[in-house]
Amino acid sequence: MNSVRNLLRARELSAGRGVLRQAVPGRDSPWLQERSCAQCFWLVPVRSIRSSAALSRSELVPSAKGDKEKDRGFRDGSLVPFDELFERAHEGDRNKAAFNRAVEFFCQRDIRRRGHVEFINAALRKMPEFGVERDLDVYNKILDVFPKEVFVARNFIQRMFNHYPRQQECGIHVLEQMENYGIMPNKQTKFLLLQIFGDRSHPIRKYQRLMYWFPKFKHINPYPVPAALPRDPVDLARISLQRIAADLSAEVTVYQMPLTDISDAGKEITQPHIVGIQSPDQQELLARHNPARPVFVEGPFPLWLKKTCVYYYVLRGDPLPPEEKEEVIDSERNFYYPMHLDLDLDRDLWDDEEFYVDEVAEGPIFAMCMAGAGDQATLAKWILGLQQTNPILSQTPVVFHLTPGPRELQAASDSESGEEEIPQSWHMKQEL
Amino acid sequence: MSGFSLLLRAARAAFPAGARQLRTGGFRSAYAKELFLGKMWKEEVFPYPEISNEELEEINQFVGPVEKFFSEEVDSKKIDQDAKIPPETLKGLKNLGLFGMQIPEEYGGLGLSNTMYARLGEIISLDGSIAVTLAAHQAIGLKGILIAGTDEQKAKYLPKLASGEHIAAFCLTEPGSGSDAASIQTRATMSEDGKSFLLNGSKIWISNGGLADVFTVFARTEIVDNDGAKKDKITALIVERAFGGVTNGKPEDKLGIRGSNTCEVHFENTKVPVENVIGEVGGGFKVAMNILNSGRFSMGSASAGMIKKLIEMTAEYACTRKQFNKKLSDFGLIQEKFTLMAVKAYVMESMAYLTAGMMDRPGVPDCSVEAAMVKVFSSEGAWICVSEALQVLGGLGYMKDYPYERYLRDSRILLIFEGTNEILRMYIALTGMQYAGKILTGKIKEMKKGNVGVALEIFVNKFRDSMGRKVDLGLVGKDGVAHPSLEESSKKLEENIYYFGTTVEGLLRRFGKTIVDEQLVLKRVADVSVNLYAMTAAISRASRSISIGLRNHDHEVLLTNIFCTEAYFKNNYAMAELEKYAAENLDDSIKKVAQQVLEKRAYICSHPLERTF
Repeated sequence: MNSVRNLLRARELSAGRGVLRQAVPGRDSPWLQERSCAQCFWLVPVRSIRSSAALSRSELVPSAKGDKEKDRGFRDGSLVPFDELFERAHEGDRNKAAFNRAVEFFCQRDIRRRGHVEFINAALRKMPEFGVERDLDVYNKILDVFPKEVFVARNFIQRMFNHYPRQQECGIHVLEQMENYGIMPNKQTKFLLLQIFGDRSHPIRKYQRLMYWFPKFKHINPYPVPAALPRDPVDLARISLQRIAADLSAEVTVYQMPLTDISDAGKEITQPHIVGIQSPDQQELLARHNPARPVFVEGPFPLWLKKTCVYYYVLRGDPLPPEEKEEVIDSERNFYYPMHLDLDLDRDLWDDEEFYVDEVAEGPIFAMCMAGAGDQATLAKWILGLQQTNPILSQTPVVFHLTPGPRELQAASDSESGEEEIPQSWHMKQEL
Repeated sequence: MSGFSLLLRAARAAFPAGARQLRTGGFRSAYAKELFLGKMWKEEVFPYPEISNEELEEINQFVGPVEKFFSEEVDSKKIDQDAKIPPETLKGLKNLGLFGMQIPEEYGGLGLSNTMYARLGEIISLDGSIAVTLAAHQAIGLKGILIAGTDEQKAKYLPKLASGEHIAAFCLTEPGSGSDAASIQTRATMSEDGKSFLLNGSKIWISNGGLADVFTVFARTEIVDNDGAKKDKITALIVERAFGGVTNGKPEDKLGIRGSNTCEVHFENTKVPVENVIGEVGGGFKVAMNILNSGRFSMGSASAGMIKKLIEMTAEYACTRKQFNKKLSDFGLIQEKFTLMAVKAYVMESMAYLTAGMMDRPGVPDCSVEAAMVKVFSSEGAWICVSEALQVLGGLGYMKDYPYERYLRDSRILLIFEGTNEILRMYIALTGMQYAGKILTGKIKEMKKGNVGVALEIFVNKFRDSMGRKVDLGLVGKDGVAHPSLEESSKKLEENIYYFGTTVEGLLRRFGKTIVDEQLVLKRVADVSVNLYAMTAAISRASRSISIGLRNHDHEVLLTNIFCTEAYFKNNYAMAELEKYAAENLDDSIKKVAQQVLEKRAYICSHPLERTF
């Protein structure tokens, strides 16, 4: 690495500093930085070499990256590796306060804010660890690290070319990360960007694009999932079931609350939760179901709510046989007007606005549930609860078609993301 | 009405609609239905029906005392406040014989014809509560006995009902059932000896429910089909309160017609003898339909009566109150309101008496479509007129000290009961479509099959229409039936009728039998046909008035011309919409909006002050 650096120095002497600044991306050389404001005053011939410098970059970068660790050690005297800054800052928890401490520490350490691009990049990387990746204040704080007014283009030529490209790119990185996490910038962000990069700079353009699209997409999802899902499995089941049922009249019933108890014998009894949903329409369908034909309990089926996966079970019947499907309208149904016309004329082609859909015959779904355990005993309790409101169920044979699917999935993912799991529910997990 | 005609009525109920066309003579009367074919059955509506001098004298003899009674002894304000008709008022009504207006004289009623009944309805409607009480009693409550009851049933019940000793009520609506027969839960179970039924169930919103002694109840009974299968069918029963097990809830507190008694009625193991079945066991559906269909026509004259009274009261105010040194009556916007009221009242009256006259013709004319048209037009007209009258009075109309707000509240029910206007529009449009469809099916099928002759004929017709066809249905001109001074209006009517026929044909071609699901289309069809019937009635009446020189017939000509011109443009607009496909006439958008709102069961737009950034 030393040899590379020496080589670079030599090149700099021959070609000019502005070129070198471009040739070593990913790291900042403070001794260049300090004088880099003078860059614009370099003579015209210097600029003409730029293109060749860009070519050399492709060769130089990999080696520079590969020696990253070593490089840190080399610069230890002037710079603390920024990752360590964050490691050091969190004495207790990794939280917003600790993160802010690290940022403040960096800002206070050096009035010139040397190495701020590296620091910002490191900070962006560290954000998820500290759980602040969705915090607008923190993003603004990070932007605040940039020295103000230094990078503002002062004439049209600077504006035309990429003035302080690394800084601008870094600013864009910050905005991009905000974009990826769906954080909408605010007035403060704009103010900072204007102060740092000035009007019509690339970060400002990025900001404008964000502000164009984000509001448009803010409510694009007609079925939004709440930002924070409830931790309580019963509440989560309630939300999920209401989401699948998509019927405002559907009623959620908690058949069993989750419970952990110690019995007299000293044995631990866990009682899984059972939450079911049924709409009046489904009740009616079930009431009309022929008790001679069985109904099926099937599942578990997965439902993803953002990063959480929950499983549900359905109570369904077989597709109706054709003789039961056709509902004959009684001619003596409506006291006031005829329900159908006795005409031998069909709808004309032009008014037939139905698309041709290849329909697969599907049986009616009578009810759905989510339970803390997927065994037959638990689900039988659900059916028992359903019998209260649907007396016909007590005469109808119920067949359990349960697949062991999610159990295996659970086993596989347990080791990976046990941390995020919601306690008490083996079949509800978060995968990150 | 003779026993013979009643027999015919019962017989008619047994025949499906299609069979009726084969009959001639008394069964004609299909003026409204013919409109759907683009034809005009002039003989039906011209000349405007008249009553004989004797009948006129007779009715005037009734009108005098009834008018006097209503103006002197009925305290509408008190009835409205107390939510009760005082017993002495009811007694007065009974003494006047108003509880048995259409019951034949042999059973102690007044035996009035439909026309005379409509005439008295005009006065009775001056108090909404009394009008509804009387209508619930005789227009629906005892109508079942009158049109489908046996002689024994009539002899047993009608005299007491006619005198008002007993009051009748009509029990159809149930908590889960408005117009849906399938959800009637009240059940009548045949006892083991087969001599009586046990009645169990609850009915809601029963007018006169708390006063009535005799109920016409519709209940589900199990009957055995021809092929031996058991089936539930509706049966109509006469139930006396004295049978036991009949209870009623407390009177409902209502927006309007507060003096009328509306409450729940419960039947618990009420024993009803088999002789009290109206019609036959399992034949209650037809009975209910016939009762409902026959009860509606009188609403036209009732509304007209009310508006005429309102015009008097508001005109008095408009001609005395001064603003900016000018009388209210000098302002154009106020004048416009009076014109509107006069036009509506005139047309309503014309429609009501034309329909009543048609119903009074010998034979058993079926005027159910016309009656529904009268109901729709007059109930909506009444609501608009009352609202406009209130507007003339400004803030004064809003005060409880004056009767106008009561009229407004009372008239709101007209759009709802005896079949909501939406339901009646479906009835009007679908009955007409069925009638026209029967006749046009052959032609349309030929065309769809690609019969060149028929297709060419349709094309030539269309071409001539587009070139501006002169339509002549023979209303005016040589051998014309309408007066020449109404030529303009008559021409407009003829043109509308002709194009209505082509529109209906087009709709049948486009939708066929699936038109039952096109409610937005049917609504327009119903609106046009109602307007056509209204225009007809107005022209017919005005022609008669001019011809025999009634007082102020020039005023009638004005009213007729105003109405016909307005209706002509409305019809043209509606028919132009009907020609278009759903994407162009906004139907698609309308449905979509409704669907989105109903999916969320809320108004879903963001608040105007809402921001996204």
